[in-house]
Amino acid sequence: MEPIPRTHLSVVAGLLEILEDYQGKVDAAKIADELMLELDDILPAIEAAEMLGFIEVDSGDLILTEKGREYLAGNSIQRKKILNQTLSRTSLFKWLIEQLRSRGNEMSKEELIALLEEEMPDVDAAKMVKWIIEWGRQALILRYDSNSQTIKLGDLV
Amino acid sequence: MPLLELRNVTKSFTSKTQTPFVVLEHITMAVDKGDFVCIVGPSGCGKSTLLRIICGLIPPTDGQVLYKGTEVKGVCEEMAMVFQSFALFPWLTVLENVELGLYSKKISQEDKRRKALKMIEMIGLKGFEEAYPRELSGGMKQRVGLARALVSEPTVLLMDEPFSSLDPLTATHLREELVDFWLNPDMAPDTVIMVTHSVEEAVYLANRVIVLSHRPGTIIKEVPVDLPRPRDPRSDKLYALVDQITSLIA
Repeated sequence: MEPIPRTHLSVVAGLLEILEDYQGKVDAAKIADELMLELDDILPAIEAAEMLGFIEVDSGDLILTEKGREYLAGNSIQRKKILNQTLSRTSLFKWLIEQLRSRGNEMSKEELIALLEEEMPDVDAAKMVKWIIEWGRQALILRYDSNSQTIKLGDLV
Repeated sequence: MPLLELRNVTKSFTSKTQTPFVVLEHITMAVDKGDFVCIVGPSGCGKSTLLRIICGLIPPTDGQVLYKGTEVKGVCEEMAMVFQSFALFPWLTVLENVELGLYSKKISQEDKRRKALKMIEMIGLKGFEEAYPRELSGGMKQRVGLARALVSEPTVLLMDEPFSSLDPLTATHLREELVDFWLNPDMAPDTVIMVTHSVEEAVYLANRVIVLSHRPGTIIKEVPVDLPRPRDPRSDKLYALVDQITSLIA
């Protein structure tokens, strides 16, 4: 299964804003420099933006795509719809949605961790579940109740 | 008549054994409806104290704060505050934290919920209604802080270093969102007063930058920022203003 973003959405969005300021194309190192960060610090945001189809990376340059521009121009609900369509097509969320449907649209967090450990033995399943919950909520694919530690299918799936 | 007026506001703290400690002195300024004012100054110049005096959280030692010509005495309901530390209640969900912004409003619980849910949607928190603050990133926590402040549709939004504890990319994004909310005629706030230690941030956001001196804080200068929006944070004109203001503080 492909990975999902392992950074926060607001970090990705900030990267897109800066790219837009530079008319849609700028060297990644220049952005890092400007923010007084190392390239390593912004790498997760670059990877996430690329994975979501918001940017293309061409030998060090970051290029804002049409989809990235559409995302920036949208209101909060339009943005969530774009995320929803994009993420629900990734293999990980497709798999998760199937798993949830076969369990009456609901499973415990513990159950998901156990399933992931089987499916992706190389990754830290507990950490991965945290990112799945965060991005699943952002994209309205999932709802999560931390009191009962229950994951449910969201409204927009 | 300006929306908000400070007349000769002074704040000092006294104790029996020490000489009075003057934090702010002779602050006179006016803010019009629709304005975006940033207050900058060296650390310890009383910037945050000034915000607290403006919204009536603490009284001035001398001078007056007038809102629409009436002296502010006690917490003013027309203003709401956003804090650097987010100031969320950890045992309440996102929805409950936002509803708290309507605590003093005399409307039904259903109306409170409806308004809170609408604000949550507008501010990009949909999907996180039942999350607790501990489950949120810094950027999302500050969105909750903003939603709680805006849900009561305040005329004036006061912000105390709202972006300074966020990572730089998150701060970039939230600054942009704040300008969108301010420019959106269908959404509060019309008027923003923000305290920041970042001169770049102040010049990028504000119509007017008020520069305070070192303690006791007095107004050194008011610098109008007549740059068209949307602004280019890397333009020469913007940098020239940043340099001008920075030289006043240093």
